[in-house]
Formats: sequence, C-alpha cells, structure tokens
Amino acid sequence: MMRSAYPRLTGLLCLLMYSMGSFASDLISQSSAEDNSQPEFQIIGFGDMSYVSSDAARPDGFAIGQGVAHLIGSLGDSLSFFSEVSATAKDSNYAFEVERFILKYDFSDALKLSAGRYHTPIGYWNSSFHHGAWLQSTVSRPEMVKFGSKIVPIHFVGVLLEGSVPSSRLGFEYKAGFGNGRHDNIARAGDAGDTNQNKAWVLQFNSRPHDLYGLNLGLGFYSDEVALVDSPSVKENIASAYVAWSKETPEVIVEYQHSSHELVNDSSVSGDVDAWYAQLAYRLPLDDNKWKPYARLEQTRVDESDPLLGAEGLDYDGAILGVRWDFHHYAALKAEYRNEEFNNLGRESGFRLQIAFVLTKM
Amino acid sequence: MAICVVSLTTAAQAGSQESLAPGAIAIVVHKDTQVDNLSMADLRSIFLANQQYWPDRTRITLLVRAPKSDERDFVLDSIYQMTEAQFRQYWIAKMFRAEVPRGPKIVFSTDMTLDLVVAIPGSISFIRSDEAAEGVKIVRIDGKLPSEAGYPLK
Repeated sequence: MMRSAYPRLTGLLCLLMYSMGSFASDLISQSSAEDNSQPEFQIIGFGDMSYVSSDAARPDGFAIGQGVAHLIGSLGDSLSFFSEVSATAKDSNYAFEVERFILKYDFSDALKLSAGRYHTPIGYWNSSFHHGAWLQSTVSRPEMVKFGSKIVPIHFVGVLLEGSVPSSRLGFEYKAGFGNGRHDNIARAGDAGDTNQNKAWVLQFNSRPHDLYGLNLGLGFYSDEVALVDSPSVKENIASAYVAWSKETPEVIVEYQHSSHELVNDSSVSGDVDAWYAQLAYRLPLDDNKWKPYARLEQTRVDESDPLLGAEGLDYDGAILGVRWDFHHYAALKAEYRNEEFNNLGRESGFRLQIAFVLTKM
Repeated sequence: MAICVVSLTTAAQAGSQESLAPGAIAIVVHKDTQVDNLSMADLRSIFLANQQYWPDRTRITLLVRAPKSDERDFVLDSIYQMTEAQFRQYWIAKMFRAEVPRGPKIVFSTDMTLDLVVAIPGSISFIRSDEAAEGVKIVRIDGKLPSEAGYPLK
C-alpha cells in the first residue's frame, strides 16, 4: 500500500516544486534584501545526458541521465527547508523519487537539528556529489556508492544532529543520526517506517584543518539490524574513512569502507565487505583552466559467507581514465574510458561521453 | 584585548597616519557586530560559510560583489583561493549538500555594499579601504587595519 502511494506522492511533490519554480524568482525579488527574517526560496536543477558504448552485453547508445530539482527555502534566520526530487530514465518510463526532504533548525554553528530523508552521512562521495553529476569530475560514481548500491546504505530517514567548531584550528565537524535502517529491499531506506524495532544510527566526524586549506579528513560509523523477508535478521556495522583534497591542482579523493555482517541469531554466520576507490584529477593551467583530466581505481570485495551481501555478486574491480571540459560556467562535457570486471566474470571495456549541467542563478 | 572600532570619520580624525590605504581591501561588518578582529583563518571560515553565526548568534549575511569587479577578483584570489568557476561551483555544492539555505547576496557597487551592511544586522562584506564610509565597522584582520603594515589583504 505504501509503495502504491509513493509514486503519487512524488508526482505531487514534483508538480508542486515545478509550479513553485515560476513563483520563485518573484519571491526572491520581492523579499527585501535587507530582511533575513523573510522567507527566501531558491531552485537549483541538475541534469545530464550520456552516450554509452561497451564491449559487454549491455545496451549501448544515448541515455538521458537524471533530472534533479532542488527547492531550498530559508524560512528565517534559523529555520530552513531542503528538498530534492529526481527523475531517472528507465527502460519504458521515468522513475520519480523524493531523494531528500529535510527541515533544519540551527541553534548555533555547533548545534543544528534536522529531520527528514538524507544522503546517509557516511564517507565522502555519497553526501558531497550524489545526484549532481555536474559537481563531480567523472562521468559516473564509484561502484560502491552507485545509485541503488547495496554496499552503502545510500539514504537515511530520521533525525540528524550536526555542527561544527569553525574557530578551532582543526575545523572540526560532526553529524550524528538516528532513524530507520534499510528497507527489506536493502538498496532502499525505510521511508515509511523501519522494518524492525532496531533503529539505525550513524556518526561521522570530519576535519578541515585551517593550516591545510582544501583538506578534508573524515571517519564514519553506521550500525543497523536489517530485517529481511523470509530470512533471519542481520547485524550490520560499517566503518568508513576518507581523505579529500578539494583544490583541483590536484584533486585527490580516497575513500575506504569496511562492513561486517552477522546473523543476529547465529554469530557463526558472518562475513565482511571491503570497498575502496582512489581518484586523482588535475585542473590544467591552459585554455582558461577548462580542462581537467582524471583517473580512478576502485575495488569491492565481498566474503561469500556474508549473510547480507554474499549472494549478491558485488565483487568489482575498475579503472577509469577521462577528461572533463568545462566549456561553460554551468555545463561540462566529460569523456571517459572504463576497464572493469563485475563479479569476477571477465574484464570489459567501455566508453562514456556525458554532458552535465546545472541550472541556477548563482 | 584592545577594542578598536574604526569608521572613516575616526580614521580621518586620527590623521594621515591612520588614513586607510588605497589598494587594500577592508572587511566591513554591521556596526552592532560584536567582533573587532578576525584571524585570516576565521575570515576564510566565514566567507566559506563554514561559520554562519557570530558569537552572539546573529546570523552572518555575506555580501559579495558581482563578477568582473576588482574587489571580487581580489577576494577570490586572496581569501577563497579559487577561480571564478571554482567559486560558483563551491557555492552550488554548498547548497546542494544542504549546508546553507542560500548563497551570498550579490551586490553591484560599493554604495550598495555599504547601504546593505548598514541595514542588515550580522552582515559582512568587503570594499576598497579608501571607500569606507560612516555607519559600518572595519574589522582588523590578524590584528591589523588596512592602513597598517602587515595587513594581509593588500
């Protein structure tokens, strides 16, 4: 019943958002620039289109990627609202999804409380880029955080405490969340309630040291008990770590995640997952800094004995090499060669071309 | 800690020794802001919206000059250490991550900057130091005013 209502809800929300778009610019211009207590709204859109070619037995050709619309509302000095809706091309239709839906109250820089649906704050990529293809250097996301990934719980529904101590030399930040764990479809969050009484929690710490401007270091932890249909429940613990150097000369992102899964009623049945990627890019000092070549290596290993993911065939090795051309302030063309192996079934090569853009008034 | 609130009037009264140096960028805040000195790291944290509130919990409103102004170019180079494209991407990403509900307010002239800094509690912006006017507070950076040797935004 929940699933049948969900498309209607998302459709209504999309309609609401897009209809609000026509009012948004009026609202922005009407709100006095001198009065921050007045609501302000902003719409940001992301989109991408790709051409995909591969020597594997998968469809080639042109593909509309994702259309993403954000409605961001500042409802005064301390209260804000953020929503994100996506439309993803499928074989014969489009899938609409409420990706994020967050109402946040700021008590101070050190304490902000929100509720809603989030990109799970674990690791770097999942919350830094996610649906914004234009934001990321590469055409595609690392396999461990791909759309519909089962390695990382991509979304999280619940409450989140977050804050920072910006004046500290270490630029310390934290996020602590409590909410619904994975759905019995483990690629999804429990949007309409948890599937058991054991809530998930997530904790992430990161540091942006003042003396190393551009550096971001993070550690994250996630814990849940996953209830599956016709299968015993599984205890899941995830630890992650990342290092990101966001300046583009070079840009470096390295992320590692270790997950352990264990049957709740039989601790002898357990298994681990190790996943990592390392990405290097460099903004070339020519043609007005429009070119950025990049490379990425990544690997995922899942124990066959893993009671949650062992039978999913998620082992992966991949290497990509590409270049991004920012031909416009708000659009980029990316070309990417890929060599990868899924589930130890032999290597395959592919080529992807993507144009990604953002719609904003920034 | 010595408290130093300087307006153009008081600077002028202090004589030529205290006059604001042309060529420097002055950081100006609303006159009621309870801050007189910022370290360069604090200033960067504010301009990056990593710090969004003043110590008295007033929301910080950042005013940034529109593209193709010398002041903006200087601030992007010296504080943000970003190109124009990186600056845009930074703010779009910041909003995308739901870390800020809005980007900086864009201002188109020094007069508009000063008018809004006077009008908006908690606001902060930047102007050429020789264009400072009454009604705003110039903040020391690393303990220095724009007229002093060693001021970092010259």
